[in-house]
Amino acid sequence: MAGHEEEVAMEVEAVQSVYGGDCVVLDRYPPRLHVRIVPRTADVSSQQFVEAVIGISAGPQYPDVPPCVELIESKGLDDRRQKCLLDCILDKARQLSSCSMLVALCEEAVELLSKMNHPEGDCPMCLFPLVPEDTERRDLAFMKLMSCFHCFHSDCIIRWWTWLQNEKQTKVGEVENEKGLESQGNCPVCRKGFQAKDLEHVLTLISSYSSKSSSEGDVAEENGELLQSDSENNRRQRFETIMKVQEENNGLIEPKKDLVVLPGMYITPTITSSTSGTTNDNMEQQQPRDEAVSLETDSCNALNQQKDKAVAPVRNSIGSSKPRGTIEHRNSSTRKNSARNARKPGKHWVRKDYTSRV
Amino acid sequence: MTSSSATSRKALSKIASNRLQKELVEWQVNPPVGFKHKVTDNLQRWVIEVNGAPGTLYANETYQLQVDFPEHYPMEAPQVIFLPPAPLHPHIYSNGHICLDILYDSWSPAMTVSSVCISILSMLSSSTVKQRPEDNDRYVKNCRNGRSPKETRWWFHDDKV
Ligand SMILES: [Zn+2]
Ligand SMILES: [Zn+2]
Repeated sequence: MAGHEEEVAMEVEAVQSVYGGDCVVLDRYPPRLHVRIVPRTADVSSQQFVEAVIGISAGPQYPDVPPCVELIESKGLDDRRQKCLLDCILDKARQLSSCSMLVALCEEAVELLSKMNHPEGDCPMCLFPLVPEDTERRDLAFMKLMSCFHCFHSDCIIRWWTWLQNEKQTKVGEVENEKGLESQGNCPVCRKGFQAKDLEHVLTLISSYSSKSSSEGDVAEENGELLQSDSENNRRQRFETIMKVQEENNGLIEPKKDLVVLPGMYITPTITSSTSGTTNDNMEQQQPRDEAVSLETDSCNALNQQKDKAVAPVRNSIGSSKPRGTIEHRNSSTRKNSARNARKPGKHWVRKDYTSRV
Repeated sequence: MTSSSATSRKALSKIASNRLQKELVEWQVNPPVGFKHKVTDNLQRWVIEVNGAPGTLYANETYQLQVDFPEHYPMEAPQVIFLPPAPLHPHIYSNGHICLDILYDSWSPAMTVSSVCISILSMLSSSTVKQRPEDNDRYVKNCRNGRSPKETRWWFHDDKV
């Protein structure tokens, strides 16, 4: 009996040594852990789109009886993907029944999240897919807010940021335009506050470029023409670097030759093992059915969400009515070529001042 | 009252128009339950028919919402009012103005016409009395010159109607 307890204790230590500060041990025996899981490919934080904290609680019968696994919190995962994550981990637990499995379950979670490490659905601002399907709009790169992991097209969220800053200025007026007050915005989806630093990786590119372009006297014709040309190119290059690192690390992301690669874009990974292959299929195919369900619940929920939420439930269910997740561009040009084509020569963005507003 | 604000308004920006076209298409595929968009060629003003939800005070009643979109939608909220006759409701004034925070201070560009409609229907459905807001007469008198509800400094009523 004591031998069994010792064995389990060693397993807990193993999880701790692998996950370090991301592993919180609530109970040593029977073990109860919270483990923060991030995708394996998330070395660069701006390229991390999902994360989760899973709770594992085993009983005294462990490992003969698999532990309970629950999702304590998650970011960037909609209901469908949350459920998929949990189901797959539980499947794994059943498979491994009566073996030591604490580390294996966490690794499974890492594996799953690595595959899910891409934003899903439509941009909440313009309602077009975050990862465009047609090649014409592929210049719309996306980004996430670092605070809440909600994803937007880069130019859409920057437009919101600029709008908020301009609005604040007009409201405050010349009277108390205090520099000490840090600029802040709020996420259009969850209203969580975000600051300039959340947009930094995009904003720095803008300001460095905007000084250049203003001296050239170029003016964008529409307030939407943000973020094309050099900044875009810059990010593309950075993305190539990240891609390389990822390939070297574990070959998880292997672009197909005929894919058009965008910054931050997720490429369906080549399936690494037979078990994960099926889970991957489930992830993508369950979708239509789930959507029908979510539609109904959405309209019921509407009765409860009267005033407090900025979420647009109906938009969500509509937005997901087209296939997504897998990206299949028919375009056969190589990555480099497509990057060049996407840049429209001579077009520059500037920050739009909404001077028309009173 | 309903059209004066329209005369001063600017045409939709390209972004606003793209977004609205997208919303319109999605509405046609998947309209919110209880609502019907009356088709016109005017993208900037939508007239939407609302059916009171079954089992509520407004069951079997039909009203019309008028939604006007500003130049910089969705950065700016749309103006949403009931066309006469406006439903009798503690948050709806007899001139059609609606006291609902998401239409003003709490607007967020991630909201859509659909989500606004759903919020309004939910506001109707949760009502337990059919009556005008207490300050109805005073407010409506103040709006005589065609003031838009978006210019009102709203003080939001209690959530619970
Ligand atoms: Zn967008
Ligand atoms: Zn958010």
